[in-house]
Amino acid sequence: MRKALKSLTVSTLALSLATGYAMAEDLRFTVWTGNEAHLDMLNGIADGFEAKHPGTTVTFETIPAGDYVQKLTFQLAGGNPPDLGWMFEDSMPTFVAAGAVEPLTDTLENAEAYDLADFSDPAMSLWKEDGEIFGVPFSTSPFMVFYNKDMFDAAGLEDPLTLAEKGEWTLEKFRDVAKALTKPEERFWGFEFKDGQGYDTRIMHAVMPPIRAYGGNGWSNGECGFEKAEAVEAVEMLHQMVFEDKSIVPPGEQGDYFSGSSAMTINQISRASKMPEAGFEWGIAPLPSGPAGEAPVIGQAGLVVFAKSDNKERAKQFIAWMTNKKNVEVMAQFFPPARVSVLESDAFTEANALIPPEQMKHVAAAIKEGEVLPSHERAPQILAAMKPRFDALWRADADVEASLKAICDAIRPQL
Amino acid sequence: MATADDTSAMARHTRVPWLTLKRRETIEAWLFVSPTLIGFLIFFLGPLIAVVIYSMSEWNLLSGGQVFVGLANYRDALAENPDFWHVIRNSVIFAMGLVPMNMALALILAIALSRPRRGVVFFRTVFFAPVVTSAVAWAIVWKFLLQGEGGTVNQLLALVGVNGPNWLREPDWAMAAVIVTRVIKMVGLNMILYIAALQSIPRDYEEAARLEGATGWQVFRMVTWPLLAPTTLIIMVITTIGSFKVFDHIYLMTGGGPENGTLVLAFYIYEQAFEFFNVGYASALAMIMFVIVLMLTIVQLLLRQRGAT
Repeated sequence: MRKALKSLTVSTLALSLATGYAMAEDLRFTVWTGNEAHLDMLNGIADGFEAKHPGTTVTFETIPAGDYVQKLTFQLAGGNPPDLGWMFEDSMPTFVAAGAVEPLTDTLENAEAYDLADFSDPAMSLWKEDGEIFGVPFSTSPFMVFYNKDMFDAAGLEDPLTLAEKGEWTLEKFRDVAKALTKPEERFWGFEFKDGQGYDTRIMHAVMPPIRAYGGNGWSNGECGFEKAEAVEAVEMLHQMVFEDKSIVPPGEQGDYFSGSSAMTINQISRASKMPEAGFEWGIAPLPSGPAGEAPVIGQAGLVVFAKSDNKERAKQFIAWMTNKKNVEVMAQFFPPARVSVLESDAFTEANALIPPEQMKHVAAAIKEGEVLPSHERAPQILAAMKPRFDALWRADADVEASLKAICDAIRPQL
Repeated sequence: MATADDTSAMARHTRVPWLTLKRRETIEAWLFVSPTLIGFLIFFLGPLIAVVIYSMSEWNLLSGGQVFVGLANYRDALAENPDFWHVIRNSVIFAMGLVPMNMALALILAIALSRPRRGVVFFRTVFFAPVVTSAVAWAIVWKFLLQGEGGTVNQLLALVGVNGPNWLREPDWAMAAVIVTRVIKMVGLNMILYIAALQSIPRDYEEAARLEGATGWQVFRMVTWPLLAPTTLIIMVITTIGSFKVFDHIYLMTGGGPENGTLVLAFYIYEQAFEFFNVGYASALAMIMFVIVLMLTIVQLLLRQRGAT
């Protein structure tokens, strides 16, 4: 009896260890895409990894983008942590500061034929802290000007791409064409901020491109830049476009570019997928240059391993696998790469079915030179503090300089 | 289930003397209330106690560390953070705007629609329909209608020569706009409650008053209104509580803006908990909201008791 009990205990223990081991090899990977083509591609990459590491499985779990950070945080805090996942650029500093993500430098440096130096420095800057790598960007997508070519042709104007090729695509020109294309009586505007949310959730996407083109910044190194002369000039220009030229869709109005109510907007190339159904000729061009020259802005998303994962080492290896040169080439069909060698290949400029190579060339150039939006570990608090002051700025009678100073006063304690 | 229990209980009753009728009834009573009671304990009392504990800790969900800080979160909210009083002010304005308007409109609609007349069912349906409409659809449609220049509301106002404001972009107008759209959405519910109350008032009272020579207004003032008092109290309590808890409407229409003009308490709690992950501070705010709502309810009940005596 005792012997039987003993052997039962031992076998139960062995079984639980074995299943524990098997479970330890099941990597849970959170993503915010539900797109089947994306998931097929990701599963294809995982298949290769699983073949190399028998016993390991990778499961992709979709959390919708709008709830991603919230639900992820609750999974991490609630004792149900995924092993690794996608990470938004603006959430990254918060996660690093909280110690919620794992350092990856060792794994990446020692990964077989990885060539870490192939990732451009500006592309990696956001994902490093004190020389240690905490994430690897898998999507580095510049903000481009989308334009309605039919509208430019009808007005007899040169389109932004043509102007850019001639080196004449400047903020002044941008303002001129936006004004020329605006038809107030038809409720048609020259320009719409990104997704029409420039006054709400996309404040930074609205103001940062011209601020950077003027040579300014929102904030950097704990210092607020909104009140500096370059930023004031840039925002004053936008303010005049909204309230004097009336060429930008004003606050409280809807003027969707994709349904043909605005001649131009700013967005990332993934939005090109909406264009075939738009029903007009279109193109993409770089952001207009300013007194400080060209200042491309990029948006990034990266891969991280969560500190609460039970399978950190395997998860890190998977990140190294997923971002090796071959897999970055695979992902480039959907996600613009941060690897210079892939970026410079013809494969990339020819990879996009919707955007012709001569336009993709500008995308590649913007990725190489582009900077991400200002980031901060307290970004949610900074944006919340900024929002009401920007509301005050977006009024016809606002004193732009004073409003920008108020914005700096509000966010300075957070910086 | 209950019958199975009954039969087994009865079977035992013959053999086990301690299971008296009284005991049996007590057990049955507990069995009957237990589903609700267990639900109450797990899904209400448990979280409530947890919130009290969380509210006394500094807890950032992401970094994980939970440190006991006593009443620091409450002191922070009540004495140190100017945002808090701004938020309370907004919540009070919202409630003071919404509750009287909602109740007055509900009563007027109920009086108009309580008697069986032609078309009355149609109009009741029309006014009740927004209650069952999705809040998301409601908010999106109103956002379109309330656009600055292109909005339907302002185009209609322009027809009569009024230059409407940019409703959702000016703090005071935005507050007015969310209150009015919320009233239109929710008034149907209170209307139904008032209709039910009006229909339960015996016609004899009104006839008696009429025979004594009372005018329509006097009948309403001296007969109908006092008899509606219990319903009015209930409506007032639930509408006030509802107005303090308003979240979806604000989230969808203004996001607390412009210039924090519609930042109400429930939305502020959401922001602290789910955007900044300050669970401790958000829990303290939630407790403050709980106390406010509790006090309002007690005050209204006391007023009612005094009215009755």
